[in-house]
Amino acid sequence: MLTLYKPGTGWLHRMPAGPKLLLILAVVLAVSLLPARWTSVPVAACVAFLGYLVAGLGPGMMPLHELGRQLYALRWIIGITLVSQVIFIGFEPAVANTTRVIAAIVLAALLALSTRVTALLDAIERGLRPFERLGLDSQRVALLLTVTISTIPVLGRRAAEVRDAQRARGARNNPRTFIIPFLIVALKHADELGDALTARGVR
Amino acid sequence: MIESGIRLENVGVRLGDTDVLRDVCVELNARTIAVIGENGSGKSTFARLVGGLLPRTTGQLRVLGLDPARRAAELRRRIAVVFSNPDAQIIMPTVAEDIAFSLRSDKLRPAELQARVETAMERFGLTHLAQRASHDLSGGQKQLLALCGAFIRNPELVIADEPTAYLDARNARIVANHLLDGTDHRLVLVTHDLTLAARCDQAVLFADGGLAAIGKPAEVIERYEAVLRC
Ligand SMILES: Nc1ncnc2c1ncn2[C@@H]1O[C@H](COP(=O)(O)OP(=O)(O)OP(=O)(O)O)[C@@H](O)[C@H]1O
Ligand SMILES: [Mg+2]
Repeated sequence: MLTLYKPGTGWLHRMPAGPKLLLILAVVLAVSLLPARWTSVPVAACVAFLGYLVAGLGPGMMPLHELGRQLYALRWIIGITLVSQVIFIGFEPAVANTTRVIAAIVLAALLALSTRVTALLDAIERGLRPFERLGLDSQRVALLLTVTISTIPVLGRRAAEVRDAQRARGARNNPRTFIIPFLIVALKHADELGDALTARGVR
Repeated sequence: MIESGIRLENVGVRLGDTDVLRDVCVELNARTIAVIGENGSGKSTFARLVGGLLPRTTGQLRVLGLDPARRAAELRRRIAVVFSNPDAQIIMPTVAEDIAFSLRSDKLRPAELQARVETAMERFGLTHLAQRASHDLSGGQKQLLALCGAFIRNPELVIADEPTAYLDARNARIVANHLLDGTDHRLVLVTHDLTLAARCDQAVLFADGGLAAIGKPAEVIERYEAVLRC
């Protein structure tokens, strides 16, 4: 998810992060607000498709390749949303809901694909600055977002380590014996991260 | 000279209900100081204390002539701390961005920021990894990244807790040279590598939460090896 950024020179890559964030937010919102009808299905799909085509991600088939990669990564989410909704609310709304949710996700991914985290952070920090008069610390909010984002892959790795350690000692995969050691490791990481932020000059 | 060193008077640190450091009195004025001792003897606690990451429970402490309890913000600007676990020190998703993060609060112009990041990456041999995902690096590469992020702020005092623990022989030598050979920073180096400790100007030996010896590295190491033999 984080290593999603792909260097490029298209117009979306060159667009300043702030306006880009707003533009993509608007498109994502519009797609999510489509009604749960059959007619929404081609609309949402086309918007997502067009989004990747016109974004200038790269030469030739590369943008569609990227879209395919995104959809493949989302296959479980697609399956689960589709099946559970077909069971509970029927075929038409299930297909329409799934299409617009997936379209919204892949469109949002365009932001991550074309923007560095640093640029995004600076944009968020700048965008929130007007709210400082209301007592909001924009630097802190931006930092909090970064740290949250950066913690995800680390915790993923730590989870794998805990599982490996248990397997190495002959334990089978068991969520109950996994959760406590993982929580301890996660809290320890939070502790260390606090130290690291302090050590690197963050208030 | 005293103004730039580290001075502890009857310092104690209590964590939970154990006295991790007890009644430490010492004055350290050499440029590079090795901290050695057995596992659990209190070395990391000492490093965290001096680095301003841990408050003392009792006694008096001066680092660069300042009291960390009162002048925390200023000391944080002048001191860099490097840990042995490089995972916890990485914050941004790519190598170049993570190094730049260290200068975030300086609000530099983009061109100047980039120039400084590039110089720092070159110095630590990270240039070819600039755009790589920082969390996917090997342990040794991560440690080089952490060091780079620490040194780019031109600290006056570097506190390193087993910084070569994850490194192969070549990278360990590179890191050690960076830490020991510069002349514009002081160093507190916690290490189990006694050849590294021997390269420092002064050494302290910790044992069981207290100071067991201080002096020329060769003498202190000899004391330590005598303890290890019995
Ligand atoms: N948060 C804590 N709470 C309670 N006790 C702690 C805490 N952190 C460390 N200790 C204890 O303090 C003692 C000194 O720990 P410290 O990490 O300073 O040792 P060390 O000399 O760095 O050891 P090593 O060589 O293994 O890194 C140990 O006995 C440890 O168990
Ligand atoms: Mg230690």
